[in-house]
Amino acid sequence: MGSKHTTFRDDQLDEYQDCTFFTSKEILRLHGRFRDLAPNIVPMDYTNNPDITLPSSVITAMPELKENPFRHSIVEAFSEDGKGNLSFNDFVDMFSVLSEMAPLDLKIIYAFKIYDFNRDGFLCEKDVEETVHRLTGEELRPEERRLVSQRVMEEADLDGDWKLSLIDFENMISKAPDFISTFHVRI
Amino acid sequence: MENDSRTVSFQRLSSVDSIVSDDSCEYYQTDIYEQLPSSLSKRRCQYVDQAQEDDDYEDFEYVSHLNRDWSSTQPLKMLPLSLQEKKEIREKRNQERLSINPWKSWTQSQQIARRRLREQLEMFFSGLLPWKRTLNKIEGGFGVGVKAYFVFLRYLLCLNLLNCAIIIGSVLIPSLIVGNRSPPWYRTQKNDSVLDIFLGSGFLERSPIFYTFYEYKALGPICLNTSLLFFAGMVSILILSLIMIVHRTVVGYKHTWLTGSSFTGNMSKKVFCGWDFCIQDAQTASLKHSFIRNELKMDLEEQRFRVKVSQRTLKQWVVLCFLRAVLNFLVLLLLGGSFILIYYASEVSEEKISIHWTLNLFWEYLPPITITLVNFLLPQLFNTISVFEDYSLTTQLNLTLVRSIFLKLASLGIFLFFLIRKAIATGKCDETEFGKEMYKLTVFHLLACVCNVLVAYPRTLLVEKCPSSKLVKMVGKPEFVIPLNVLDLVYSQTVIWVGVFYCPLLPAISILKLLAIFYMKKFTLVRCCVPAQRMFRTTSSSVLFNFMLLLGLIMSAVTLGININRFERGHCGPFTYENSVFNVTSKCVETLPLPAQKAISYITSEAFAFALILAEAIILTSFVSRGTANRKAIERLKDMLIMCSSDKRFLVKQHSTLVRRQKKIQKNTEEMADYVSNISRES
Repeated sequence: MGSKHTTFRDDQLDEYQDCTFFTSKEILRLHGRFRDLAPNIVPMDYTNNPDITLPSSVITAMPELKENPFRHSIVEAFSEDGKGNLSFNDFVDMFSVLSEMAPLDLKIIYAFKIYDFNRDGFLCEKDVEETVHRLTGEELRPEERRLVSQRVMEEADLDGDWKLSLIDFENMISKAPDFISTFHVRI
Repeated sequence: MENDSRTVSFQRLSSVDSIVSDDSCEYYQTDIYEQLPSSLSKRRCQYVDQAQEDDDYEDFEYVSHLNRDWSSTQPLKMLPLSLQEKKEIREKRNQERLSINPWKSWTQSQQIARRRLREQLEMFFSGLLPWKRTLNKIEGGFGVGVKAYFVFLRYLLCLNLLNCAIIIGSVLIPSLIVGNRSPPWYRTQKNDSVLDIFLGSGFLERSPIFYTFYEYKALGPICLNTSLLFFAGMVSILILSLIMIVHRTVVGYKHTWLTGSSFTGNMSKKVFCGWDFCIQDAQTASLKHSFIRNELKMDLEEQRFRVKVSQRTLKQWVVLCFLRAVLNFLVLLLLGGSFILIYYASEVSEEKISIHWTLNLFWEYLPPITITLVNFLLPQLFNTISVFEDYSLTTQLNLTLVRSIFLKLASLGIFLFFLIRKAIATGKCDETEFGKEMYKLTVFHLLACVCNVLVAYPRTLLVEKCPSSKLVKMVGKPEFVIPLNVLDLVYSQTVIWVGVFYCPLLPAISILKLLAIFYMKKFTLVRCCVPAQRMFRTTSSSVLFNFMLLLGLIMSAVTLGININRFERGHCGPFTYENSVFNVTSKCVETLPLPAQKAISYITSEAFAFALILAEAIILTSFVSRGTANRKAIERLKDMLIMCSSDKRFLVKQHSTLVRRQKKIQKNTEEMADYVSNISRES
């Protein structure tokens, strides 16, 4: 009988189960993934809540995120310091919101944060242009990108201030039934 | 220092020219803006304590109740806070729970337990759905549209499974239990051959697959006999299919209606919902990038097309209308010609020839062959024709689709029309003949799919082995054309519904057929096809497909009614002359208690039907008028929102101008006071 390595205490697992959409098995699996990213830094034993963060370059190299054009923005949106350094709590939070079980309004709030590249609380035209740029690479010419972002603003801006607030974004997403199926990461 | 930077920004704001300033970032940083109730409510609820101390508490309270209620009954998972904050709230709630009364804590824990149970059940049921991983891989490689095809196939499989279960329960088991005539059906006789599988004759004709196997046998009370169970089973299949299809259509239509017309809101959805976050390999990612780029380019193209349309002169319009009329006439000619061809082929196939068994087989299968050929060639022609009609790209696709749908349903309709018009021959069992035709259609559909694979695979191999030859460059690898494949599925399902009464095990055969089609199409897709360059818009067209499914169901119900009427004087199967459908049901109704009889006779009378239709018309009218009123209200509210927002901007700017002026006046008076005091000191 091998010795049991306890990664988390039972009450810690209960906490995670209540605060995220994962079961205890999945939390342990996530911890394994987190540890695999940097086995020398991340300890096996999390019973005393060590304060370890992994830099954004390590997280964005994960296979689930590496092809995503918004990976840096995603990691920054979930980090405490805003620079992309994730602790295990942030890591679990990120995959919980991006999982299939998270509800639509929670995803909308975080999607808004992710697409807001200049972090000013609004999606201005430059944010939309940046989104289009990341989605299409260099295939579209700059004036085509500007046309697209202008069309987007015309369609989605409700109060005429040429910026999308969370309410505008929510209104636009509620008309798109595909959102909840595209905005999720399987881990 | 701070004051100076503030004055600089106010100066820019106060310039008369910038009513709508481009540098509106400063506007969002002014003092008064940060105190507005709408800005306060955007911050998290933790600031409630802070706001309570200010005088703005009343405004804040009013606005914060408009927001989502992040109160203590919201599950922790749903809160948009970081994990650490959620843990703290959990601690607080646990402490609260200790202090509230045990009844409340018990109800809360019951709620949590029920929610957990529901989540587990949902996970269990979604785990029962087969092929999840395959579909995810297909989605990653070929897009959402192709996945929608396979999801539709799986849905039809479930539908047929349910139908099969009902039939086995109500039709097959009673007849098998009751026993059959003296030579058992599974004993082979003299004339049986392998061809029976294709023709439905001989061994198959005697088996439970066809109508002749079943007969009237009483099972005790008058209402319980095999014929009534047979009829009840068939009717419940049709009703169950109707409910499921209507539910699916309504859900799909609600989505399309929510998204509004196909033009508005498309670009923003593509930009923000376009990327699939599940993509993990580089090839799929680059494919998705090119998908999105093509979609955006197509939309920009449509915008340019719209501009071009608005600039057409009168002369161009007249020429275009004439051209469109001619092309539509051509389309009608093609449709009429194909219908005549199908009718002629059905007539010719009646005359049995017996030269060689292959020729005999071919002759028997002539109607299905013609129908399939027509449905293969004509949509390609429609595609080419629609190019000349000078519509926008989506309208072209939709037009071709509508024409193909009409072709498919009408060709089946013509064939059924021919079968109905056929004279009733004595000696043979006509109901089984009808069932045999539907069986042949189903079998041929499967053969056509196999042929498809047999053509696509060598084509792919050819393209891969010699990529530089001219023929190969012209032909290329096959593409998975979604609309035609979906139409195929809908057509086969319609055939099943039409034929189920006279060929009761047809749903079981179609389950096997659908399984085979799934794996064949998957093989073709993964091994042979290239991803389509144009992404297919699923949400708006799925409504069209569901509607076509509904039309097929209606067509099958109508055909069934006509056939039951036609075969009143039959002599085989569960409904012979003495035991016709009407007789059997009326005998059963007579044994019911008198109030039930009266109720049934009232429900089936014309007065009730008329009253029902009138009530439906009134309800529909009220919904439609409510919908129109709501739409008008939305337009008014949108205008009001824009007005209020620009009012707010104007007032904020006015306020900051006034504050700046006040500060300037204050500074001036202070300077004056200093100057005066300096002078008085000097003097």
